[in-house]
Amino acid sequence: MAVKITIDMFSGRPNPVVELDAKEAKDVLERLKPTTALSGDEAEKAATPILGYRGLIVEQSGTTGVSKDLPERFRVSSGRLTGRGLAHNPADSNFEDFFFGPRGLAKKARDMKNLQSVLKTEVARAVEIRKKFILDPIAFPIFITCTCGPIYEPAWWNDGGQRQLNNNCYNYASNYRTDTFAQPGRAAGAMYSSLTCASVLPAAVKDALEDTPGANNKCPPEGHLVALVIAPNIDFHWYRKGRNGFWTHKPGSTQATNLDNSGHLILDPRTADRGMYTSFCTFMVVKHGHIKIN
Amino acid sequence: MDTSKSTETETDYIAGASIFSGRPDPTWTVSLEIVERLQSLWVSLPPLDASPPQPPALGYRGCFLRDKAKQREWVAYKGAVTLQTPSESETRRDAQREFEPLLLHSAPAGLIPPQILQSEGL
Repeated sequence: MAVKITIDMFSGRPNPVVELDAKEAKDVLERLKPTTALSGDEAEKAATPILGYRGLIVEQSGTTGVSKDLPERFRVSSGRLTGRGLAHNPADSNFEDFFFGPRGLAKKARDMKNLQSVLKTEVARAVEIRKKFILDPIAFPIFITCTCGPIYEPAWWNDGGQRQLNNNCYNYASNYRTDTFAQPGRAAGAMYSSLTCASVLPAAVKDALEDTPGANNKCPPEGHLVALVIAPNIDFHWYRKGRNGFWTHKPGSTQATNLDNSGHLILDPRTADRGMYTSFCTFMVVKHGHIKIN
Repeated sequence: MDTSKSTETETDYIAGASIFSGRPDPTWTVSLEIVERLQSLWVSLPPLDASPPQPPALGYRGCFLRDKAKQREWVAYKGAVTLQTPSESETRRDAQREFEPLLLHSAPAGLIPPQILQSEGL
């Protein structure tokens, strides 16, 4: 019997892997023995991909000693088991605490010393994020609703360095990397003069964004839809509508995300939790190749 | 972790707050007197046993003190202070939430919108 556990946490780097000896494998499979079935949307929430720690992927192989109650490959996430034919609570609902604990098996993984403190936070964060998830029923077939909308590719923007730190919400929303923390109107020599809709909106028009106040969350036939919001006299913020119809954003130098301040997917920025950005200004259209920002 | 002083100058220390989305976040230099008070405070803080609070995507997300010479940075948010160096990270509990306001109020007047400080109770 061979049991391998992958700590599923990275987007770009290969995930850390722990290979267990026979005694450890037996103990782990005992702890992960399925008990009660998950109820409601618990399984879907546990399996929904998020950025950061997403759970443990357990793979068992061999002819003797493998657990017949568990599939060859399954996931332990936020204290729940999911996999082919598997949507259950494990015998040890605190398995992840055990795994990452002081005497846990995680320390066998390479580079674990540097990851330990991050993982402590990440495991708890994953639980909190999933608690907040509200999963809407998925209508099939899924149509691509915005053919010209940009793809949501957070790993590209969230490099933790040059791209992430020097490109803000305006860069992200317009899908235009400048590495200059772009400001509406600056490229045209007509930067906004106050942090109000009345000032930022015309500055963006000078950058060749097109004001479409009547867009009503509908994708344009050309280009993609963005939305301007304002924290009055404090700051501005932009969202962009993606190819799948959902909105995403990049708050300042932090990571791009598809969640609002309440941890919900964003179907309409007018109704999303926007924190201090209480003023919704307008929808605008970015026509690819037309705009110039800096 | 080493918090000892050497021949430090004020330009070694940069403070900042993570607040904005569109505008660049504010940064400022900190007097050595404030740095000493913050470091004394850090030394007195106990370890944080729980997970540190997670900031929201939009709005105030914490503040930092960066020691450029020693390549270390303290990040404070809602009662948790984390010291990060190239090799390690340590988080302590600031139950009275003293570190954060001391650092934020060292900013030049008007640099941090007063609404932010007010809404955060700082």
